[in-house]
Amino acid sequence: MTERTIAVDYLARVEGEGSLRVRVSEGRVDDVQLQIFEPPRFFEAFLRGRMYTEAPDITARICGICPVAYQMSSVHAMEQILGLRVGGQLRALRRLLYCGEWIESHALHVYLLHVPDFLGYPDAVQLAKDDPATVRRGLALKKAGNALMSLLGGREIHPINVRVGGFYRVPGREELEQIRPTLESALDIAEETVHFAAGLPFPEADEDYEFVALQHPDEYAMNEGEIVSNRGLRIPVARYDEEFEKAPVGYTHALQSVRKGGTPYLLGAMARYSLNGRQLTPRAREVAAAVGLEPVIRNPFRSIVVRAVEMVFACEEALRIIDQYEAPTEPYVAAPAEIPAGIGAAATEAPRGLLFHRYRLAPGGQIESAEIVAPTAQNQKRIEEDVRHVVERSLALDDTALTGLCERAIRNHDPCISCATHFLRLEMERT
Amino acid sequence: MHEEALLKDIRRKLVEESTRASPAQVARVRLWIGALSHLSEDQLRLQWPTVVDGTPAQSARLDVTTSRDTTDPRAQGLVLMSIDVVEPGRSSGRVALRP
Repeated sequence: MTERTIAVDYLARVEGEGSLRVRVSEGRVDDVQLQIFEPPRFFEAFLRGRMYTEAPDITARICGICPVAYQMSSVHAMEQILGLRVGGQLRALRRLLYCGEWIESHALHVYLLHVPDFLGYPDAVQLAKDDPATVRRGLALKKAGNALMSLLGGREIHPINVRVGGFYRVPGREELEQIRPTLESALDIAEETVHFAAGLPFPEADEDYEFVALQHPDEYAMNEGEIVSNRGLRIPVARYDEEFEKAPVGYTHALQSVRKGGTPYLLGAMARYSLNGRQLTPRAREVAAAVGLEPVIRNPFRSIVVRAVEMVFACEEALRIIDQYEAPTEPYVAAPAEIPAGIGAAATEAPRGLLFHRYRLAPGGQIESAEIVAPTAQNQKRIEEDVRHVVERSLALDDTALTGLCERAIRNHDPCISCATHFLRLEMERT
Repeated sequence: MHEEALLKDIRRKLVEESTRASPAQVARVRLWIGALSHLSEDQLRLQWPTVVDGTPAQSARLDVTTSRDTTDPRAQGLVLMSIDVVEPGRSSGRVALRP
């Protein structure tokens, strides 16, 4: 028996936190499992014992792409317990900040993750070698979104200026005016993006989705509204648990959400567009009509067009808010002197869809429990259904081609795990 | 938060290397943590037993070196430096493999 040393010198790579297991038997797809390996991050446990004021900053750390969503859902839930009403320009500024996040998040997904799929490139870096103008459009849009995040949030990623009741500091009108040219240019680029995206080649697909999103009577919902679906659901956010449930499944670290009864549902841009499209801003509606985008989109590969339309909306809405802006006299609505005990639930529209938060506070404002349901966990079951149908339609492809198509089917829904562009390890079991 | 995925990649590589010539048990694994990797030795040691369970490295000693050199080209990475394998019936020697 001998011992020898093998010098490997191998640099470990994160190939992503996901894999897809598909079992096909006699030409039929028996099972599809989207497995998310990323270990539990225990944010809900971190929050216990912390003060209510810390929730927006702690929860923002859950995601580097959509931190505003976490901040918004947390502050709304806390304000419900405290009985605070945040309206007027403070409410408008929150919407403006959310516009920034939608722009930067959608631009990232559309141009850096999704477009290369359609044009046959492994990633945006390779695409940029042949078509730098396309990638530059994406970067310009992302920069515009980031500029809004910096201006209102204090920095581009994990903003630090959001607090329960409003902001720590609000900008003056002249500060918002300075960002106007950037947003006007971004609006043109976003419109160009819609035309560009609509001309991409789309695989055939027609999915029977239950779309779920917030709906507000007066606006394309971002921060407030009822939870509605295209199958008749209409509930206040506080009743979320009565209609949705989440449970661990053996093969993934993410909890999987379903409607009570076990059916999957879809959140995000396609759901919002289908449920609330009539409330989009004028140019967003016009450009959607110009490219022939139907009122309801059921082909998930066309979600890239819908995201582009939402970028037009977010740029236009941001400009409208800036037009009407007058700096509020106070940057926030003060909390009551005595913080009551209570339970607060809120949902807002993250770029990837409805993000639900619920908190229970002890008297004095200490967090006793927290529950956070992220959009990707809610979409996971529905993504598996999409993949199942893609595989069923494409069984003749070899495993390499099929893997590529499955990756695309997953990426259609902009899951947070897509930050690892080539995350997928496909285990195809054919018998 | 990526330490589990990184360690799984390390596991894949060390299983591949340890079984390349002949089935072998791994006696020692040397890892190198870059100064800018956002990883810590404690994090890795916590997950290590779970990750290598059932592999030829499940009883291996784990040696971890943490670099402070932020200018190292691999400073953002986690490197599998070497593995010591125990093989029945083979002569000893150092084999350098560069993937």
